[in-house]
Amino acid sequence: MNETKAHREQLAQLAADYDWLEEYCRQHPDLGRHAGQLRLAAALTRNVVGGSLEQRPDTPLHIAVVGGAGSGKSTVANFLVGSVVAEANPQAGYTRHPIAFTASPLSSWPSYLGFLGPLRRLDENQPSNLDEDVYQVHPVTMPQTDDPLADDVIWDCPDMTTWASTGYVSRLIEISALADVIVYVASDERYNDEVPTQFLQMLVQAGKAVVVVLTKMREADAPSLVEHFKNEVLSKIHNTGTIPPIPIVAMPSLTEAERADPAQAGARYRVQLLNQILVLCPSAHDARKRTLQNAIQYLESSLEQLLDVAKTDLTDLETWKTAVENGRKVFEDRYRKEYLSGESFRRLDRTRHQLLELLEPPGSAQYIGRAFSFIRLPYTLGRDFLFRSIYQSEASHLPEQTVLQNALASWLEQLQAESLRRTNTIGIWKSINQAFDSGLKQQSQERFQVQSRTFELMQGDELDRAGRALIDQLEANTSLLNFLRYGKIALDAVAIITVIALTWIPSWYHLLLIPVAVAISHIMAECVVWWRVDRIRASARTKRIEQLSAQISDPLAKWFEEWPTHGGSPIERMQIVLRRVPENLKALSAAIRSPKTV
Amino acid sequence: MSQLNTANAPFLRTLAPLLRGLERRLRYWHDLRLLYPVSAIQRAELEGLTDDLHRKAEALDVDQPLLVVMLMGGTGVGKSSLMNALAGAAIAPASFERPTTRDPVVYFHQSIEPERLDPALRLCRLVKHDRDALRQKIIVDTPDVDSNDLTNREKLVSVLPVADVVLYVGSQEKYHDQLGWELFKDHRQRSAFAFILNKWDRCVQTGPSGVRPDADLLKDLKNEGFEKPRLFRTTAQAWIDAAKANKSQPDQLPDGEQFQELRDWLEVGLTRLEIEAVKARGVGQLFDQLMRSLNGIRPPDLTAEAEKVRLEWKSTLGDASGMASEVLVGTLDPRRSDIENYFNLRGQDRFRGLMAAYLKLTSLRYSWRAFRPTLSVRTTSQKPEDDFELATFARGCARRAGERSLDQRNQALVNTLLVEANQVGFPLSILNDRTIQASRVNWDERWMQGVVESLNDVERELSNPQGSRAIVRQAVRLISNVLPEGALIASIFLLLWRFFLVEDFTPSLFHVFLPLFVTFGVLVLCHVLVMIVFPLRWPAIREQFQDLLKVRLNEEYSRIYLPIPGELAMGVLSERTTVDEIIRELKESSEWLTARESAAKVDELYGR
Repeated sequence: MNETKAHREQLAQLAADYDWLEEYCRQHPDLGRHAGQLRLAAALTRNVVGGSLEQRPDTPLHIAVVGGAGSGKSTVANFLVGSVVAEANPQAGYTRHPIAFTASPLSSWPSYLGFLGPLRRLDENQPSNLDEDVYQVHPVTMPQTDDPLADDVIWDCPDMTTWASTGYVSRLIEISALADVIVYVASDERYNDEVPTQFLQMLVQAGKAVVVVLTKMREADAPSLVEHFKNEVLSKIHNTGTIPPIPIVAMPSLTEAERADPAQAGARYRVQLLNQILVLCPSAHDARKRTLQNAIQYLESSLEQLLDVAKTDLTDLETWKTAVENGRKVFEDRYRKEYLSGESFRRLDRTRHQLLELLEPPGSAQYIGRAFSFIRLPYTLGRDFLFRSIYQSEASHLPEQTVLQNALASWLEQLQAESLRRTNTIGIWKSINQAFDSGLKQQSQERFQVQSRTFELMQGDELDRAGRALIDQLEANTSLLNFLRYGKIALDAVAIITVIALTWIPSWYHLLLIPVAVAISHIMAECVVWWRVDRIRASARTKRIEQLSAQISDPLAKWFEEWPTHGGSPIERMQIVLRRVPENLKALSAAIRSPKTV
Repeated sequence: MSQLNTANAPFLRTLAPLLRGLERRLRYWHDLRLLYPVSAIQRAELEGLTDDLHRKAEALDVDQPLLVVMLMGGTGVGKSSLMNALAGAAIAPASFERPTTRDPVVYFHQSIEPERLDPALRLCRLVKHDRDALRQKIIVDTPDVDSNDLTNREKLVSVLPVADVVLYVGSQEKYHDQLGWELFKDHRQRSAFAFILNKWDRCVQTGPSGVRPDADLLKDLKNEGFEKPRLFRTTAQAWIDAAKANKSQPDQLPDGEQFQELRDWLEVGLTRLEIEAVKARGVGQLFDQLMRSLNGIRPPDLTAEAEKVRLEWKSTLGDASGMASEVLVGTLDPRRSDIENYFNLRGQDRFRGLMAAYLKLTSLRYSWRAFRPTLSVRTTSQKPEDDFELATFARGCARRAGERSLDQRNQALVNTLLVEANQVGFPLSILNDRTIQASRVNWDERWMQGVVESLNDVERELSNPQGSRAIVRQAVRLISNVLPEGALIASIFLLLWRFFLVEDFTPSLFHVFLPLFVTFGVLVLCHVLVMIVFPLRWPAIREQFQDLLKVRLNEEYSRIYLPIPGELAMGVLSERTTVDEIIRELKESSEWLTARESAAKVDELYGR
């Protein structure tokens, strides 16, 4: 039970998605050609797939009479019924809404939700030129109770050729989708017209069984016209093989008597026509099964068309994403060049001093250490002087926040300029442009503020932690630390002793070598410490860029990229539809193909 | 009547040069490289109209203008049958096969040379006749508008502009089919329209409901602005059959059949007066359409916006140059000693003698820097004897600043400028290319120039001070140039005087070196004085230098960017003037035409 409910929901959603796509295509001038096919897809979903899910019985079969204006659809409908029931008159395009004729009891009329979609059933009889989204059902009596079409519904449909038909062709499509058999009427004037032929092509693609009725020619011309139609028109209709070959029935210009009494006076045409329909539908069950399978096949094969509809938007979205991505690269690049390249992380100098101090021995040994440092004094002074005159501070740089703010502003302006350049097209760029006019900049600034706060806090922590870790690591390893401390003192002592021993008996100028010797161990220690701290500095730089990516530029870029697909924009709906339609279609076709329902 | 004719004949002919003049102007306009963007559709429309001007001029530049009557309609409505019925012979192919007519058939009087026909018609099937009633008329049967053969429609659309009068042919089935109706709506502003409802016999069969097709068609036409259209109800096939049977007219005709009236109208009703009226009206319609389409592409007047953009850009460029100068000075900061040294060397030229020698000696301390790793400023190949080459130095700094941030900032600047211009209402489509192009100059070179010139300016200003400072400096210079030598001479003199004239004076080593010490002391004192009076320290000149640099960069930016909106606005304005002139000319011509339009009864052929 639950399953049925879920399927109903999927069905409604699928039909609604098709409807939305149809509407979308109508609004886009270059997509107008897809609108009809999408409408057909929606109608097939509602009327054929929906009917199957609702366990609609195989009868009545639906026979739709379609064709260009004035080609004689109403007359053919009368011949199918066997009596004059449809309003046939010379005004072209008189019929404006579909009218059903049926001999089967009206109680068996399908009445599930979604049947015939937006079309409303009229309760009382109205003239057939009522131009509204309605349909009528007229009960009729067939000439004989066992008439071949006694169980069927015959639909007299509006045309698709007059200038007014744009307003009502969707009604025609709705009924054509419902139909199990299409009777395509073409007059001697119309049979090679573009618009009706395209319509026929669409129905054949959708897997509808078709009978062609050629009308109004002179009796003598009938055979050659049929042949000509077969060669000129039918041969160009692409039949995928899901439907039987299309039969052609000729119905030359009728006499008044034949027109008035199709069952008797017009019997020769009627019998021919009914025979062809019977050939197409030997049993109601098979006919219905074919309708259903072909409908699903059509829906599945038309999925590619959806992508075609969305193509412009998707390409635009891709272009937008590329623009955002480029902007992100420039943003990070600017941060690296304008800030990071000049930043030397002064905090790490403290770590260096701490490390060097750590190497001085504690306790009573510290006096020895101090004595050595005193001896080293000439070296320390000389080093500082040299360092100060050699050392060039990197070029001064702006504060981090300012650099980031500037880079963000540039990023935004680059995106805005890009959207302005492309705004003459409709779609995404237009909406992006409007967004820039209505506070997109401010929103992104706010987002940036929030993100950059965490980013800022991270820096200090990160550096302190890295420096601290180095010191802690050394402090924890007591044996190594002691080895280094006393090793250094020992080295100094050895150096002094070596100098004295080598220059024995030392004169005063020999003693000048002592400070030099004592400096050697210190220089070694300094070099190692410098090297370690520099490594931290380098890794801090890379880490900083990573943090910028993770904390600011990535979330912002993501937000920009997804921006057009949020907030109820058409492209958001489009993406949902593109995802949902195949899913729902798959679920529904699986449900229908499973033996339980069939 | 004949009087009117002679009065009218030159009138139509005088239109021809006018049309040619307009055509020339429009062609000139097409050939311009336009600043203001015109969409491809608008351009094509205008080109089509210009072709029409040409065609009309050719057609009018004759003694007796020819009226082109063209049949238009869906396949199978009976265009060819009508043509055959009018001709009284099978000149156009007619059959049940659709579509039948694939190439237009041109039916014209034998007295007309085929060269006089419009080029679009010359390639069609030409059929001559000798009926004097149709002497001035060319009747054209065209391919259909609605069959599966799309080339037919293309052919129709290509000959349709030639028509003066279009006979819209409909049948019971097709009288308001969408494809034909749209084409009618497209062309109703270009030519006169009369309507034929052929296969009238099929229309009179009444049904239980609905209106008769002619009434339906008249209603549609009324909605399109044709209050009283000329509508002929015909049964062409019946007339052809009658002609085959050698009868003057069919035996049986449905009520209200009007083929005879159609024939009469074409042969007798369209007199020379009407023809000329239709021709003049055609020209008037063309003028109207041209005016509409020119109004559509008339560029806006952007001068006010350009001024706004200029003001807006001025402040932005000011900020940008401030930023750039800051970055450049920031790049110079670590190289301050080089600059100081440079000034020092330049300053040495001001001093002579001992002071100069002393200064040279002190500046030696800079020279060891030549060996340390630096920016790629000093290329070894370049003048190794010249220790400090300012241009190379500045180029290095500029390149480094560019790499560091200025290049990216320049990119960003273009975007900023474009967005700002858009915000004050200057269309980006005009501005975009020019601005981007302008930004692609060699910035490194410009920055280098800026740095060099600003440094020189600072230096010049320092060496040429005004007022009391000048006196002080002069004095210091004088003192520095004179005092050390004076001190040396004085102390030596003192030493010699004491040695020779003062008794019991034995000079020690100290006494011998004393003049040197004294001179050195004086030199040091003078140096201190010089340092105080001539502020050559970087921090002292940094701010002044940055200000100068900023001004210079601002000039550079302004020179590159500021004229753009104004120039473009002027260009667009001149385009606008050109369009305005054409429109004004059109208006005058069209007024002139209306004033002379004859009183022929052709109004019914045109809707509102």
